[in-house]
Amino acid sequence: MLSLSAEITESDVNLQLVNGDESATAGDVQHAAALMKFAEAVASRDERALASARSELLEQAGAEVLVDAAAVAGNFQRMVRIADSTGIPLDERSAALSYGLVKELDLRRFASAQNTPPGGFKRKLMSLIARPMAKRLFKKLAK
Amino acid sequence: MSHYQYDNSPYPIRTGLAPAYQKYWGALARPGTWFSGAERVAIAGEVRNALNCPFCAERKAALSPYAVKGEHLCGPVLDARVVDAVHRVITDQSRITQAYIDDNAANGLSEERYVELVGVAVTVFSIDEFNRALGLPLEPLPQAEAGNPECYRPAQAKHGTGYVAMIPADGATGREADLWQHRTANVLRALTLVPNAVREWMAVGDEQYLSMTGMAQFGTFPGRALNRMQTEVVAGRVSSYNECFY
Repeated sequence: MLSLSAEITESDVNLQLVNGDESATAGDVQHAAALMKFAEAVASRDERALASARSELLEQAGAEVLVDAAAVAGNFQRMVRIADSTGIPLDERSAALSYGLVKELDLRRFASAQNTPPGGFKRKLMSLIARPMAKRLFKKLAK
Repeated sequence: MSHYQYDNSPYPIRTGLAPAYQKYWGALARPGTWFSGAERVAIAGEVRNALNCPFCAERKAALSPYAVKGEHLCGPVLDARVVDAVHRVITDQSRITQAYIDDNAANGLSEERYVELVGVAVTVFSIDEFNRALGLPLEPLPQAEAGNPECYRPAQAKHGTGYVAMIPADGATGREADLWQHRTANVLRALTLVPNAVREWMAVGDEQYLSMTGMAQFGTFPGRALNRMQTEVVAGRVSSYNECFY
């Protein structure tokens, strides 16, 4: 969704952010580095890192951003467990949309990737059609 | 007792979050679809025990979850298989397999009960994680209410997508007509064997992240401090750290 958001809003984002690459935090996402560190600290359950990341985000972006970030982090701590506990594959539509992204971020290194077959030529072809279509659709919905 | 007041929070908690958590705490205490209220509250307790369970830590570090034997740090209410499933969902979810679920089903933990326990565990965990992320104490668990579980299995649920039966994309009909309109996704269908588990986590998710309608928007949302890209940076990093392909 980050990559789609960036395309739709025509923003500059280095997607390696989600892999925790600090050098990827430059771009159009305000407070990206502090948000990334906070998210990572929540997921890692390193309480010292979390206290530090929380202070940094609070200082940089304020309490409202901190509270929203905590809510989103809590939400995705749940979503990953729903997906993995039930072994669901990526939906074909999402798999087509994220075809390039999976390669760019090397996401097939995750054990849970085994629930989604690689796809092959058909998915690659679908990705060429699906991404521009989704972009147009969401832009239309945004108006 | 009135839960989730956040009176002592150093940060103003966004309107909508506390009512969603309060509503969920109420549902947690009541008899569910396959578990009693007391069992549901005990599952919530196991979510918290799992995070301090030495056996879970040892198992997580092992090459295979089956390479180590031991006993969980747990309360007295739940059957050992239920405890183990809750602890796995919280601490080692990426190594849950079809074989694990089938073995449980053959030994008394049915897939319906498994799905309900996943729903309770992950929803409690997501609320607890919100508090922990802000450095706030965890909310005391609610007092369980008496009564029997409903034991309802939607007739249209079938196998074929993941490890458990799910309502198919065109199956949101009858009692389940409210689950989605037009389109759905596998993650929304994942717990539909227990439709209330989906309703409960989605109500919390609408406030913590975005509603289904909101997901189609890519700007800034009324009442939210994060814009969509900032939201997705947090979402993406949490998912990636957890090695979630989905």
